[in-house]
Amino acid sequence: MGESDLSILVIDGDPDRAAVVERGLVEAGYVRVSIIGPSVNMLARVQALAPDVIIIDLENPDRDTLEQMFQVSRAVQRPIAMFVDRSDSHMIHAAIEAGVSAYVVDGLKEARIKPIVETAISRFHAFDRLRRERDDAQAKLADRKLVERAKGLLMKNRGLAEEDAYALLRKTAMKQNRKLSDIAQSVITAFEMEF
Amino acid sequence: MADTVVTLGFLPLIDCAVPVVAHELGFAAAEGLTLDLQREASWAAVRDKLAFGLLDAAHILAPLPLAIHLGLGGMPAVAMTVPMALGLGGNAITVSTALYARLLDADPEAMAGPRGGSARALKRVIAADRAAGRPPLSFATVFPFSSHTYELRLWLASAGIDPDRDVNLGVVAPARMVESLASGWIDGYCVGEPWNLRAVQRGVGAIVATKGDIWPASPEKVLGLRAEWANRQPDLTAALVRALVRAAQWADAAENRDALADLLADPGYVGTSPDILRMALGGRPVLRPGAAPEALESHVFFRWQATFPWVSRAAWLLAQMTRWDQAAVPAVERLAVAAQVWRPDLYRAAVAPLGLAVPAEDLAVAGAAAAPHAVAAAGGGSVEVGPDAFLTGEVFDPRR
Repeated sequence: MGESDLSILVIDGDPDRAAVVERGLVEAGYVRVSIIGPSVNMLARVQALAPDVIIIDLENPDRDTLEQMFQVSRAVQRPIAMFVDRSDSHMIHAAIEAGVSAYVVDGLKEARIKPIVETAISRFHAFDRLRRERDDAQAKLADRKLVERAKGLLMKNRGLAEEDAYALLRKTAMKQNRKLSDIAQSVITAFEMEF
Repeated sequence: MADTVVTLGFLPLIDCAVPVVAHELGFAAAEGLTLDLQREASWAAVRDKLAFGLLDAAHILAPLPLAIHLGLGGMPAVAMTVPMALGLGGNAITVSTALYARLLDADPEAMAGPRGGSARALKRVIAADRAAGRPPLSFATVFPFSSHTYELRLWLASAGIDPDRDVNLGVVAPARMVESLASGWIDGYCVGEPWNLRAVQRGVGAIVATKGDIWPASPEKVLGLRAEWANRQPDLTAALVRALVRAAQWADAAENRDALADLLADPGYVGTSPDILRMALGGRPVLRPGAAPEALESHVFFRWQATFPWVSRAAWLLAQMTRWDQAAVPAVERLAVAAQVWRPDLYRAAVAPLGLAVPAEDLAVAGAAAAPHAVAAAGGGSVEVGPDAFLTGEVFDPRR
């Protein structure tokens, strides 16, 4: 059995991240990659798919169910164990920090599993970065909306021209060494309290 | 040590009360520390993060630090320290309303007797299923290494049911139990509150035995620390223990229970309705859909030395792991292993400034007392401990 023939199952409560991990593994040459989302009968599905390696997000509540497979090997044909390279605690640490956990069929050589776990770790990081960038973009948009609203309130209630309202916000922010959006929020709160 | 931050992981269960109260009511701040409470979704995540240093401390299943310490369950061994327990009680066994009706039918006498006897009715249902060629019933607990697992197995075994052959035993995360029962994936489970009362409230389950019916002294959650962390910072460890002990005292007081229920109802903590939490904490739960509330004190946070880390209780857990094929700890080594992890010496030293009476001994024989009773206190006098009789009538002597 070649490396690419290993059957890999990705279990993730976040379907977007599961897709990112799956794509990473496929690009790395693994052809037998499946995904399952959150489900009550996970154990039955895992047994039906009989994967060699399971990649599951560390926070997934289904992990407790999966761990039972260590205990009831009588009931499963393919006992699994957590991927633990005893010589490389650095790798375990990196996986846990990235939010990745991995389970493998007993007896599978570590050298064959390591690249899979490494791919998963790097994909989890990439996904986090993408999400952070998206969140930042959304936060920037929200900030801009706050400033617009504060400007509008100043124009309407203090009779300022638009550029003067903006200049006032900026000046106050600089003087108090605070973010423009914070000042805008204070202005909005102040007006909301008044009316 | 001013304003030291301790990252503490917990699962959404009523017994996360102790760390939550320590944080919310200022007991941690009074000891000069800030608790950074992190809600986790699974025991596996708590174990991994605690073992590898992403958490400093955890509200954790009593057997789990022992399992981590011994390197059981596919993990490399990491030395652990348990300086205190986080209370007794709260677990119960719930079955689906369909199975409950079958139990009543199969053995009305056992079902009318003391609650723990319900397993005898289950034995008859299992025999009937087997005779009819039906598949075995499925039960779930919250983790392989949990008091729930040992309580459920003890209840089954008390009626001569073999937990490994006569039923399917699985694992489901606490917050998913009710949904799994409602959808018919499992026929019953053993879990901490509020996840039993929630099934009753939704009309999908009935409580057939409580932890108090099975073994009221069974250890529940403990404070888990890496030994390296505790050894490096003995003063911080002691301060953490004191903050949590004072929080447990507060949580135990009857007059604080409604306020505690409201606190835990926060979505950041347990996040179920305050009604259910008040019912569980008020000691008058409804155990079956449509039934009247009955007196049942199941949440003991401080009384009866509920925070004291008895080495004998850890030895009992190791005996259960061995009995059920999870570990092979020879009987002669049990006490030594238990004493490496569970540290009543750290507990006594930490609470000394609080002037609390604590047990003089680290070990207690269990099984003889059906009622609260007194044991010798360190430095003279006595302290009251809870009932410790087993459903099976057995006696556990840690020295044997």
